[in-house]
Amino acid sequence: MSKLPHSSDCEQGHNAAPYVLGALPDAEDYREHLGGCPLCRADVAELALVVNALPASVPAVQAPENLRRRVLAAVRSEADLLRAATEPAVAVPRSPGRPAWGLRTRFAGALAAAAIVALAGVIVLDHGPSAHERVTAAQIAASIPGAHASLRQISGHGELVVSGMPQPRSGRIYEVWLQRDGMTQPTDALFGVSSRGSATVAVPAGLVGAKELLVTSEPDGGSSSPTGAPLIRIALSA
Amino acid sequence: MSRLRLSPTTPTEELRKLADEELMERVAGADADAFEVVFERHADVAFSLAYRICGRRSLAEDVTQEAFLALWRSGARYDRARGSVRTWTLGIVHNRAIDALRRSGVHERRRVDDEGLHETIEAPERTDEQAIEHAASAEIQSALHSLPAEQRRVIELAYFGGFTHTEISSMLGTPIGTVKGRMRLGLQKLRGHLGDWQAVGA
Repeated sequence: MSKLPHSSDCEQGHNAAPYVLGALPDAEDYREHLGGCPLCRADVAELALVVNALPASVPAVQAPENLRRRVLAAVRSEADLLRAATEPAVAVPRSPGRPAWGLRTRFAGALAAAAIVALAGVIVLDHGPSAHERVTAAQIAASIPGAHASLRQISGHGELVVSGMPQPRSGRIYEVWLQRDGMTQPTDALFGVSSRGSATVAVPAGLVGAKELLVTSEPDGGSSSPTGAPLIRIALSA
Repeated sequence: MSRLRLSPTTPTEELRKLADEELMERVAGADADAFEVVFERHADVAFSLAYRICGRRSLAEDVTQEAFLALWRSGARYDRARGSVRTWTLGIVHNRAIDALRRSGVHERRRVDDEGLHETIEAPERTDEQAIEHAASAEIQSALHSLPAEQRRVIELAYFGGFTHTEISSMLGTPIGTVKGRMRLGLQKLRGHLGDWQAVGA
């Protein structure tokens, strides 16, 4: 095809096409090879242009409206929380040289951590038969990566312990909800956090039969149904 | 060059005038309005791709949602030198759709991280890439259909089906070397067509 050096001159050249199509079982090896082989790199860049055009060949389908609503609601609530959480950092005077990068990097780091935190899932610690205490770790929203929460249940009495939570924004407060029979019911547990982000909140009786405990940020005085995505979720297995 | 703006929300009309790359700088700074504009521009094509791969609306919805939330949360990792926002987004959608497909049953689970994929879709010639992106979908469809059936088949099985060359080889009863060769020939022929479109688009 061409007299220029080409990936066909490389013994790994036959892997370029399967690689760009995502069909190489040992892609990691080839990726390593790419690092040291300009011929294959050029080949891959060229073939990738074609692969990038393939999505345009699929029949066009309109994205469902409920998908749009779900995504934008999640993003808006995370943006609100992040703004609240990063405000003190923003207030710190910055040198005029590179104002944005420090924050940008910190933000990116927080988000990366957030994604991992969100995957952590629910862990149940059972203290065994002697103590009637049960501690359930919470799932934390990606928007508040540094936060921890757990629910201690001692003989039917519940206590929510949180730490590392950002302050609720001004005019807002955290509210505890219980999910039962597919409904999200408000409780009278409203709380703020200490300057270090911790709080211990008595959870009202009525945990029995509830499936999940949620915490959201609500306007002062609380709401009768949640207005934002849950920040904390604790599964209450029977 | 403006980087991160911490000023309060800009009116959405202003944001709509910005290029994707500029919007992504704001997304990296947690600007939900900027994200919304990016989402609106690419949600349909993203969902269409997810649906083509997954074949089920519910799964395609989950995949598209996951992909856009990943874009939102990792916006700071977007690097304009390595390709357009659209290509990056579709790369994430493709990756996650194949993953979901494999998880959902037929396929054995395979995980390729989004980072590696970004590398796959690296494209140094931006103008080239843009011209190709704007090539009408009808033209890409007809180019695909102009390929010899056995070349189109291996490309579709790999890209839309998420099968490896080994799997395709045993499905079709064709040696792996032949499968790889057909992939390359097919892509090269498509590349020829794309060159034409580029000339037209330029």
